[in-house]
Amino acid sequence: MKTIEELRQFYDAVLLEDLQILEDKRRRVVNSFIITAAIVLAAGIAGFAITTGMGGPAPVAFVLPVVGLITGGIVFGVRRRDYAGDFKARIISQLVYFVDRNLTYNARACISQPEYMASKIFRQRPDRYKGDDYVSGRIGATQIEFSEVHSEYKTTSTDSKGRTQTHWHTIFKGLFFIADFNKHFTCEVFVLPDTAEKLFGRLGQKLQSLNVFRGQLVKLEDPEFERLFAVYGNDQIQARYILSTSLMDRITNFKKKSGRPVHLSFVGSKVYVAISYGKDLFEPRIFSTLLDFRPIQEYFEDLQLAVGIVEGLSLNTRIWSKS
Amino acid sequence: MWPLIIVVFVLLLVPIVMYNSLIARRNQVRNIFATTDALLKKRFDLIPNLVATVKGYADHERKLLEDITKARANRTWDQISDDQKVEMDNAVTKAVGGVMAVVEKYPDLKAGENFLHLQRTLNELEEQISAARRAYNASVTDYNNAVEMFPTNLIAGLANFQRKAFFEVPADERQAPSVSSSANA
Repeated sequence: MKTIEELRQFYDAVLLEDLQILEDKRRRVVNSFIITAAIVLAAGIAGFAITTGMGGPAPVAFVLPVVGLITGGIVFGVRRRDYAGDFKARIISQLVYFVDRNLTYNARACISQPEYMASKIFRQRPDRYKGDDYVSGRIGATQIEFSEVHSEYKTTSTDSKGRTQTHWHTIFKGLFFIADFNKHFTCEVFVLPDTAEKLFGRLGQKLQSLNVFRGQLVKLEDPEFERLFAVYGNDQIQARYILSTSLMDRITNFKKKSGRPVHLSFVGSKVYVAISYGKDLFEPRIFSTLLDFRPIQEYFEDLQLAVGIVEGLSLNTRIWSKS
Repeated sequence: MWPLIIVVFVLLLVPIVMYNSLIARRNQVRNIFATTDALLKKRFDLIPNLVATVKGYADHERKLLEDITKARANRTWDQISDDQKVEMDNAVTKAVGGVMAVVEKYPDLKAGENFLHLQRTLNELEEQISAARRAYNASVTDYNNAVEMFPTNLIAGLANFQRKAFFEVPADERQAPSVSSSANA
């Protein structure tokens, strides 16, 4: 695991030069935004003047600002995308390489929807699925992959005038991580954030046991782990074979370290970890300078959190029959 | 008339539901014990392999293992009582732990393919047995709660449901070197 001190050295020696080039690009994006805003404002004033001069609303008064907004918006959008692409290619890919040389990065790819569904963590089929920042490789004996994922479902409602409206609801947004698990198993186990027990105590446990879609409730011995998670599985013994006392402890620590809602599942010899984030990950800043160590540290920590799962859950311990 | 029928129906239904829930829990305990039993047997059957592999190295520990295997020599697994199985299992765990500790001193033996394979298998079984013990204890807790808690304890008393004992993990097993400690990793 790399330290912040090592990151700082890497930042000074390698990243800073690229960041300076990107900083120029960022300024151009901001400029195009300012110019767009100025054109729209000027067109608005001109339209207003024409309207007053003609003594009534004139079509040209609306057309001018709209044309200005569309043109400016396109220029800004193209520049912004170009800047973000360049940022990821130069900075994030180097950071990934810095975190571990065995990892490869693809800014445009993501964990595929079938893989996401195979985890069975989120049962609802998404109507819209997207993601980016795909990282994959082998850490020791463990093959891993992760990316940012955003899955949503839609609902439609019709108002009294018969107009239908579509609403999008997030199912999951954050880092989605998959690794080869270090033990053989044939069952399915789900470790989900515990909401019922936290709110309703023993009655909550009763409610959890009624969650028939997930299999049986697996009651474990670690009280701290039980407070944070509810575990379901279709085999009581294998669930405990996977969730050894030390793995429970490691998951508890990981959850505390991430400080975010964490879902895990163990399906088909793999472990899936979904860490929820409210923000977009690995995206460059636009309206504040890039020549700042803090955001770089943040990208680094998000990457380390994912890569650190291997060590955190001790996935490289291969003392059992699976090599 | 209807209210009376409903009251009688409920009065009949409640004990049936409670009785069935007790039966379900007891079956769960038996079911998990059966799996644990199968795992114990599997590990027991591996001992001759281990004895052969460490021949000439860990003589004292090997003898202990041989004594344990002799103890069941003329009986099938089903003829051994549950208590004896648990006792034998504890002895096996201790002796295997001893063998592993001795093997640490012989790098050539430790690196041998036969031994590595056996060690992995034993680790795997130890981890599975440990999981089975925990599952067994969890199911016993569930069952004992039902036997002792009101109102299911009333039915349990009438139908003679007895409390069940936990699968004790002996203290020296928890401290056993190599196999047990690494299997906890």
